[in-house]
Amino acid sequence: MFVTRTRRLLAAVALAAFVVAVAAVASSSGGQPAKPVAKSTLFRGIPEHDGVLGDPNAPVTVTEYVDLQCPVCAAAARETLPTLVRDYVRTGEAKLDVRTLSFIGPDSERAARVAAGAAQQGRLWPLLEAFYAAQGQENSGYVTDEHLRAVAVAAGVDADAALEFADSAAAQEPLNRANADAQRLGIDSTPTFTVARGDGAPRVLQAHDERSLAAAIDAELAR
Amino acid sequence: MIARAAGASGQAAPLRAASAAVALAGLGIAGYLTTVHYAGGTPACAIAHGCATVQQSKYAELAGVPVALLGLLGYAAVLASLARDGEGARTVTAFLSLAGFGFSGWLTYVEVARLDAICSWCVASAVCMTLLAALSVARVLRM
Repeated sequence: MFVTRTRRLLAAVALAAFVVAVAAVASSSGGQPAKPVAKSTLFRGIPEHDGVLGDPNAPVTVTEYVDLQCPVCAAAARETLPTLVRDYVRTGEAKLDVRTLSFIGPDSERAARVAAGAAQQGRLWPLLEAFYAAQGQENSGYVTDEHLRAVAVAAGVDADAALEFADSAAAQEPLNRANADAQRLGIDSTPTFTVARGDGAPRVLQAHDERSLAAAIDAELAR
Repeated sequence: MIARAAGASGQAAPLRAASAAVALAGLGIAGYLTTVHYAGGTPACAIAHGCATVQQSKYAELAGVPVALLGLLGYAAVLASLARDGEGARTVTAFLSLAGFGFSGWLTYVEVARLDAICSWCVASAVCMTLLAALSVARVLRM
């Protein structure tokens, strides 16, 4: 009787082990390491000065704290930014600023430094969008110079100039500013948005969906 | 012999009830993750962005099928196998639970070693599968 039970159990274990092995192999080999780089059109025709997108005189400033490797930041760029750009930036009611944090890993820092190079050319936001479109697995080493060049080209950025700037000491300044501002405002996750009217103190938003963001901007505009 | 079998079955009844309770908990977790997957959102997560990282990784699907949905079907199959208490049903429960346990172990390894992100919902499901595996093995051995 016991032998029969043991045999049944061993058969179940063996079959389960086989199924798991097949599933693990299939799980490892599936998927795409990085998506193809897409051409950017979202920000076409919108002025950008020093990394700030939109009319410099817009009454409300929306600042997004991001890590370029953060998948939720990429999702926010796809799902939240288009509405924000269409309804508030193109209308001149708000301008968009960004702080590139690099807490996920070295790939984040390299990407942020190249983003700073794109900002020098007035193409930061297209670069961010193109980077998210080609975002790979965190800290997998996909942020190579070759990858960054492809992203830069898709964003209409002079890739050589951006990568050269990324190697300069000046590229560290936006990273330091992002860290300092995040620390001052108690921001410890990305994406996080802040909203400010004029030179007023920024208000840190807890949500990053388009409805919450629109409500926060509307509230600032109504003040 | 009949008395012994009846006694063993009586001992195993609490194990069967416990298995059903754990499978129901797992069903709830997998149901939530499946719903979030198809809704296109990200799971509420105690660890910053861990769930989103795991959910949006290539490991979130197996041959195009969301892993959360596979978990949901797995827990449903375990519950269905618990509807009967024969030797065959217990062996089927053990197979399903052990396969779930093994695959959960693989996914936990992926989270820690490859994604460097922990999804608390996935960990909760892995705990359920571990309990189910232990309970189902005990039920087979007490037949």
